[in-house]
Amino acid sequence: MKRIIIDREKCDGCLNCNIACISAHEEGSNFYTVNMLSPDAETRNFIKFDAQKGYLPIFCRHCDEPECVLSCMSGALEKDPLTGHVQYDESKCAACYMCVMNCPYGVLKPDKRTRTKVIKCDFCDDKVDGPSCVKACPKKAIEVKEVSL
Amino acid sequence: MNTNFSCKTCASADQKLETFISNLSVDTSHHRMEGQSVKCGFGLQGICCRLCSNGPCRITPDGPKGVCGATADTIVARNFLRAVSAGSGCYIHIVENTALMLKKTAASKGVLKGKVALAKLAEIFAVDEADEHVRAEKIADMVLADLYKPDYVKMELVEKMAYKPRFDRWKELGILPGGAKSEVFAGVVKTSTNLNSDPVDMYLNCLKLGISTGLYGLTLTNLLNDVMLGEPSIRLAPVGLRVIDTDYINIMITGHQHSIFAYLQDRLIQDDVIEKAKAVGAKGFKLVGCTCVGQDLQLRGEHYQEVFNGHAGNNFTSEAILATGAIDAVLSEFNCTLPGIEPICDELKIKQICLDDVAKKANAEMKPFVFEEKESQSNDIIDSVIEAYQARRGVVALNMDADHGNDDTLTGVSEGSLKSFLGGTWKPLIDLIVKGEIKGIAGVVGCSSLTAGGHDVLTVNLVKELIAKDILVLSAGCSSGGLENVGLMSPSAASQAGSKLRAVCESLGIPPVLNFGPCLAIGRLELVATELAEAIGVDLPQLPLVLSAPQWLEEQALADGAFGLALGLPLHLGLPPFVTGSPVAVQVFTQDMLNLTGGQLIIDDNAQSAAQTLDAIIEKKRKELNI
Repeated sequence: MKRIIIDREKCDGCLNCNIACISAHEEGSNFYTVNMLSPDAETRNFIKFDAQKGYLPIFCRHCDEPECVLSCMSGALEKDPLTGHVQYDESKCAACYMCVMNCPYGVLKPDKRTRTKVIKCDFCDDKVDGPSCVKACPKKAIEVKEVSL
Repeated sequence: MNTNFSCKTCASADQKLETFISNLSVDTSHHRMEGQSVKCGFGLQGICCRLCSNGPCRITPDGPKGVCGATADTIVARNFLRAVSAGSGCYIHIVENTALMLKKTAASKGVLKGKVALAKLAEIFAVDEADEHVRAEKIADMVLADLYKPDYVKMELVEKMAYKPRFDRWKELGILPGGAKSEVFAGVVKTSTNLNSDPVDMYLNCLKLGISTGLYGLTLTNLLNDVMLGEPSIRLAPVGLRVIDTDYINIMITGHQHSIFAYLQDRLIQDDVIEKAKAVGAKGFKLVGCTCVGQDLQLRGEHYQEVFNGHAGNNFTSEAILATGAIDAVLSEFNCTLPGIEPICDELKIKQICLDDVAKKANAEMKPFVFEEKESQSNDIIDSVIEAYQARRGVVALNMDADHGNDDTLTGVSEGSLKSFLGGTWKPLIDLIVKGEIKGIAGVVGCSSLTAGGHDVLTVNLVKELIAKDILVLSAGCSSGGLENVGLMSPSAASQAGSKLRAVCESLGIPPVLNFGPCLAIGRLELVATELAEAIGVDLPQLPLVLSAPQWLEEQALADGAFGLALGLPLHLGLPPFVTGSPVAVQVFTQDMLNLTGGQLIIDDNAQSAAQTLDAIIEKKRKELNI
């Protein structure tokens, strides 16, 4: 199973992973054209800064025992047994936000504009060349690695 | 030394060069592209601001304004105007040095090779002096006087140089430039921390810098150089790595200030200097052209047949030229002198001398050009190059590529030589355009970059598409260095043109892509366009003429682009100039500019669709002219 593994020491806080994520979810856009000012522009990964620890990249871990899935009553969140990735089906979502409250890493959030759905990493739909954020990281602070359960 | 030896090099439109570079053991820009392939999205969009210590601020969904409150529109406009100011400063530095050189040459009764250019300038400037040296000095003084005016005093030569309908429009828009050096200063001040925040005001300022850059930095630099160094004249010349002759002591020149080499290049072929070369086992000295100063030398090659061996390649060919091992010294006076040449010069024992501190390389000897000491300076340079030759030849391995390039590139095209070629009048060209034998003209200009598909890839592909549509291409800048090396400036390239343009080229024995030389010669294209518009009796935006800088590289290119837009011409770029993060910038450049100057920015990195867009614009303009 593939996971995004973080090497915090390498992160420079450039936010290129943010822009890559937003672009990957704005159809037909690229780094030149992605609209960062759109009300629908949402990143699924976050970089926080801590005065002691430096930059903290916060990415969905697609947990082995995902609290978001366990707390989802409508079945909108499911862990794919083959890929191990936690996938979100917007059509089933009741917008109760139990997943948002239960995520131990604070990585899930309601969408800003409509507050009717959850914004969550989809591992770029398992694209062959990997998630957009990983490709966009100039420091290789995030990498896709094969992990076993 | 090549730390990336296992990495693949980037693609080049020049297949032979691509192979040559991929086999090199030294590290070049082509090797380093892969390591720099991940780009910053904020930088690409122009929405990163590092003007103060609260920053760098980036525009994100959660941070739609900088700490100071600057919007994406303000940040992009500030970044852009800063870049245009810097680019303008570069060209103004060049014209300032060139005018100073003409002034000193004239004052010391030096040789003035370009009588026609001198007469032309005297006419434009309304200088009525019988003695040619007095006339030349007065012309130089007039240029310098304008350059040194404050920004609140308008430059006087603008009205004399500019096409009247353009000048009137610029006046209406309030974008007539004050002193060119001060305008750069004003652009830098305006864009500093918590000063101007009005994007439209800043874009109008860019147009103003475009005018001063274009008329002075480009057009006048050419004409002043013509006076000192001789006018271009059309001829066939060899290009590419093949021009390097290992029997000679070879000096590669990089930069934009041809007149700095004026004395040295004549000195290199004097008997006593040739004897010095022979004494160490060489046949003599040769200059090998690289970057724009090489293109300029190529353009005037008719006057320098003995010392100049030909233009080897553009900015991103410079490392390959050195890697042949047959270059003994690099003399540089401006960009594009890549920092990447430094370790190659160290490794291959190539002497580096900088003649202008603006282009001082970290490991080079600094020898600022001093007009009054040019004789002794040239002798010193010659001696140290001979020393390098002796120390390295026979020790450093040669890696030549006699197959690269060609022997029949048509060079020496200028507003003057082209008109003479046509019989002293533009009528034959206008007739061909009216009849549709030539559908229109595209100025494909500017730099060479390693983006947009690779080295010269978009430039070459776009030009092939344009000529196939019967559009005559005029090129100036490193773009021409790439186009000539792939053979598009050889008469045989006519076979790649559309049937009508092909017939025209074959009957005249010319290629469908005409080589105007260095980027400075974008100013010559402006002269051609103006003279055509004058002959037809229309304003520039009405001409079936488009501009493209498919692989623009640097700040100077952005200042050139601002000139193109001020002239009211459609301007295509392969990649956006770091402005797409601002809705106002996109609106101004792609739409509103049409109402301001008649110009328009088109961004497209696809050769086919870009050519279709430019073709459609030419068709539209033809219709509006009823042709």
